[in-house]
Amino acid sequence: MAASLGITKLGSDTLDQLLRRQNPFTNGSDTLDLCEVKFISPGGLVPLAAICHALARRRRSLNIVVTNEAVRGYLMRSGFVAAVKNIASFEPAIPRLASVLSDLRRGSNPLLIELTKLESGSRLPMLLDQIVWVLRHRLKYKKYDAFDIATAVSEICQNTFDHNDQTYGFVAMQAYTQQQGKFIEIAVADHGVGLAETLRRNPKNNHIRNDFDAIHSATRLGTSEHDDPTRGTGLYHLLEIAYRHGGSVQIRSGLATVRYRMDKKQGWRFSAVPIPGVHISFSLQSKS
Amino acid sequence: MRLTALRSLATLNEMEKKFPLKKYGKQLWTRDLAKKVRAELTKLLEGADPGDAVIIDADGVEVFDYSFANELFGKTLLSLPNEHLGRFLIVENLSPYTRENLDRALESLSLAMIERKGRKVNLIGKIHQAYLETFILIAKAKEPMIANTVKDLLNMDVTAANERLTKLVGMGLLRRERGISDAGREQYLYSTAQFDQ
Repeated sequence: MAASLGITKLGSDTLDQLLRRQNPFTNGSDTLDLCEVKFISPGGLVPLAAICHALARRRRSLNIVVTNEAVRGYLMRSGFVAAVKNIASFEPAIPRLASVLSDLRRGSNPLLIELTKLESGSRLPMLLDQIVWVLRHRLKYKKYDAFDIATAVSEICQNTFDHNDQTYGFVAMQAYTQQQGKFIEIAVADHGVGLAETLRRNPKNNHIRNDFDAIHSATRLGTSEHDDPTRGTGLYHLLEIAYRHGGSVQIRSGLATVRYRMDKKQGWRFSAVPIPGVHISFSLQSKS
Repeated sequence: MRLTALRSLATLNEMEKKFPLKKYGKQLWTRDLAKKVRAELTKLLEGADPGDAVIIDADGVEVFDYSFANELFGKTLLSLPNEHLGRFLIVENLSPYTRENLDRALESLSLAMIERKGRKVNLIGKIHQAYLETFILIAKAKEPMIANTVKDLLNMDVTAANERLTKLVGMGLLRRERGISDAGREQYLYSTAQFDQ
């Protein structure tokens, strides 16, 4: 249970700790206990939405136990409650009126791009324009820094629908202000088959033995499910952009998680619990 | 140094066709959008004659992502030697940001393309210094060149000159035509898009 683990902040780094004890894909339970959680970031929120949708495909409905009022409020404001409407439930239940009011306020928070479903490329350009606008006009990012971040988001978002049939992904962004300055966290997650299976569709990638291999290969130039020399550059460019901005990136797929700390241009491997899809989060300090 | 005078069998066509990118937006995102743009660019290339240049005018475009660049620029460049032999694809009016992104995109695909800045041309993307030097030599020449001239001007052997020229033709950066020397010998002539320089 979350309580026994003392997970108070649910992010990309702690989601796995939570799932190790309460993985609905392996333990058969449809309840996820977030009672101890006091703070949730896009790195925890976005994969959680993908998990709910993955379970819904299996005709299961996740019951999320969340009592902290601040977290419940954030789940509404961030668009999470709307994104899992009719496929997940909350305990205690979220009052319908509160949920509707949150939906009406969508787009009004200057520090947040709410959880957005990515089904195809059609809505993505508008979302990226919105990210650029928020970064430049609300968070006062320099123009080219905002373009860099939107470019990175674009590359990973396109993967969610390019490589997955009948599934989709989610994206969200949150800006934070600390004493050291501003930073942003962006997360993208889908509930598809994962990197290894996707890449092995191309016989050139038969050498990929496991999920770590898959992540490593996917971040190198030219590794793609498609036999097309113009493909397979998205994650490479994501890491390059993160490196230029001194950010950090986490890529999770299958049984593997790799965290890249770009001040050292190095990745660290961690074993992960098995959940569907590819989950990517990255955070960047603001230079503005 | 006296260079061999040559008469080209084909007329160097100096037509250029402009393709303004701005009409698709100031911020160009995603491979999907680039596919639509490329379909229209391909029509323009299909209507071009050997020696013609299709100029992608990036004026007013603030940003494009790598997927867009790969699909539009990368795929079109890869198709040039096979599908549009002898036509040139040129980009102009890049902003510092779009130039940097296009340069990185082409570099990651091991491709290069011609950029026009005013009346000057240069290459962006991945290009070895030796090939760049050869390209610039041809680009500055008033007339098409043969391998022997390149050999003399760059002080190398003819095999190396031919290798460089063949590589540049394969990259869609030079055009190769058959020509006849004053002595009546058939030789290859190499040229690139010509502008008033």
